[in-house]
Amino acid sequence: MEQEPKSIVFKGNNEGLVIVVPEDYDFEKAKAEIEEKVQNAARFFRGAKIKVVYRGITLSPEEEEIIKKILDEKSGAVIESLSKDDETKHRPAAKTPRKPSAEPGTMFFWGKDTGMCRFVKNTVRSGMRIEFDGSVIVLGDVNPGGEIIATGNVVVLGALRGMVHAGSEGNRDCFIYALKLRPIQIRIADLIARMPETGEDDKSNPEIARIKDGIIEVEQL
Amino acid sequence: MGEVIVITSGKGGVGKTTTTANLGTGIAMQGKKVVLIDTDIGLRNLDVVMGLENRIVYDLVDVIEGQCRLKQALIKDKRYDGLYLLPAPQTRDKNSVAPHQMVTLCNELRQEFDYILIDCPAGIEQGFKNAIAGADRAVVVTTPEVSAVRDADRIIGLLEANEIRNPHLIVNRVRPDMVKRGDMMSIEDIIDILAIGLIGVIPDDENIIISTNRGEPVVSDSKSLAGQAYRNITRRIMGEEVPLMNFNTSDGFLAKMKKLFGIKPA
Repeated sequence: MEQEPKSIVFKGNNEGLVIVVPEDYDFEKAKAEIEEKVQNAARFFRGAKIKVVYRGITLSPEEEEIIKKILDEKSGAVIESLSKDDETKHRPAAKTPRKPSAEPGTMFFWGKDTGMCRFVKNTVRSGMRIEFDGSVIVLGDVNPGGEIIATGNVVVLGALRGMVHAGSEGNRDCFIYALKLRPIQIRIADLIARMPETGEDDKSNPEIARIKDGIIEVEQL
Repeated sequence: MGEVIVITSGKGGVGKTTTTANLGTGIAMQGKKVVLIDTDIGLRNLDVVMGLENRIVYDLVDVIEGQCRLKQALIKDKRYDGLYLLPAPQTRDKNSVAPHQMVTLCNELRQEFDYILIDCPAGIEQGFKNAIAGADRAVVVTTPEVSAVRDADRIIGLLEANEIRNPHLIVNRVRPDMVKRGDMMSIEDIIDILAIGLIGVIPDDENIIISTNRGEPVVSDSKSLAGQAYRNITRRIMGEEVPLMNFNTSDGFLAKMKKLFGIKPA
């Protein structure tokens, strides 16, 4: 059993946000504390689309509406829904086996929505490493020795000659796209592929790498 | 006010010291005042290449630690007026100097000289940080080898991170015959990866080794192809527009005509 927190706690899970309210809180106290917490974390939530559930106390529909409004206004996120968490439903779900991953304990999220996007406005040179929770778009080349690790997709509007890891937290739906795909190695989720060592050609057609039937496939686009 | 130019490469043995010696001599031949600083503390070479080894009394660290005055440590070249060398100590290490001390030193030399050329050690550690600290511009030397180009790329990234933008590239030790056969990276391949401005190409020339061993920079040898290449780079550094040399001396008449009309040879 989880330890009962002494104040309101925000938690993230794969569906969205969980707000854990101590059981002895009344509505007014909970409302004030949620408001304060959301305000402090506003930068974190901005632009996100989240489902919110709460635990610990029971709110009337009117009270739910008030909390939802606070979250909507203060966080800058789009609150898709707000509801009481059904713990009995939640608990066994945690025990369902996860799909195999490169490292045990890594977080998973599924689907095409890969969160925020970061633009890199220069060439990624040898020795540079760009890590981002979301997708990365490079307006330049990725040179040998340069590394990009993104939990989402990676798009290189130039030549990709370095190492790129898309879907680094296990999202197998992620892809890598480059105007010239000549990487040392590419990784998508838990799979690794390297380019054939022979057959260097000078064709520079845009190509995309993604997982098909459990292997990384590269095709022209 | 003088200009501080650092000559760097990342990888060792690609020709930083030779380039520093030749560009310095070349600039002095044009009648400018120039000082060369060897920052490769513990592995000094520039004095040997310049043929000034036997004149060293004080060095860079002596100046920085205040053991002597700057003027006392500067060694005047034996051939050209206006050319000076500030040698590195051989018995100390790179940590004897801090970047801010290099900035102070460079600013002091700026008052006196038109150009200050800094010979950077190989690597990206303390010695490199010292060498680039006071620099306004950078010249990156590489050879047509994958490893040298890889290191040059890393160096360019580090220079950019230290606010030294748009470094110039020198490709050293090019063998046109090998490039033609497809056995060596071409200049275009290198530029494609590094994406910085090319300031010159030095052909592989055995005169370099001869002159380096003699302590007489090849730039003063009017017959050598490499010497000509260095003279051209010198003029480009000083702001002149000089067309790139064509090393394909074996090209026939037809090939030259094709090139003239922009047709790629088959």
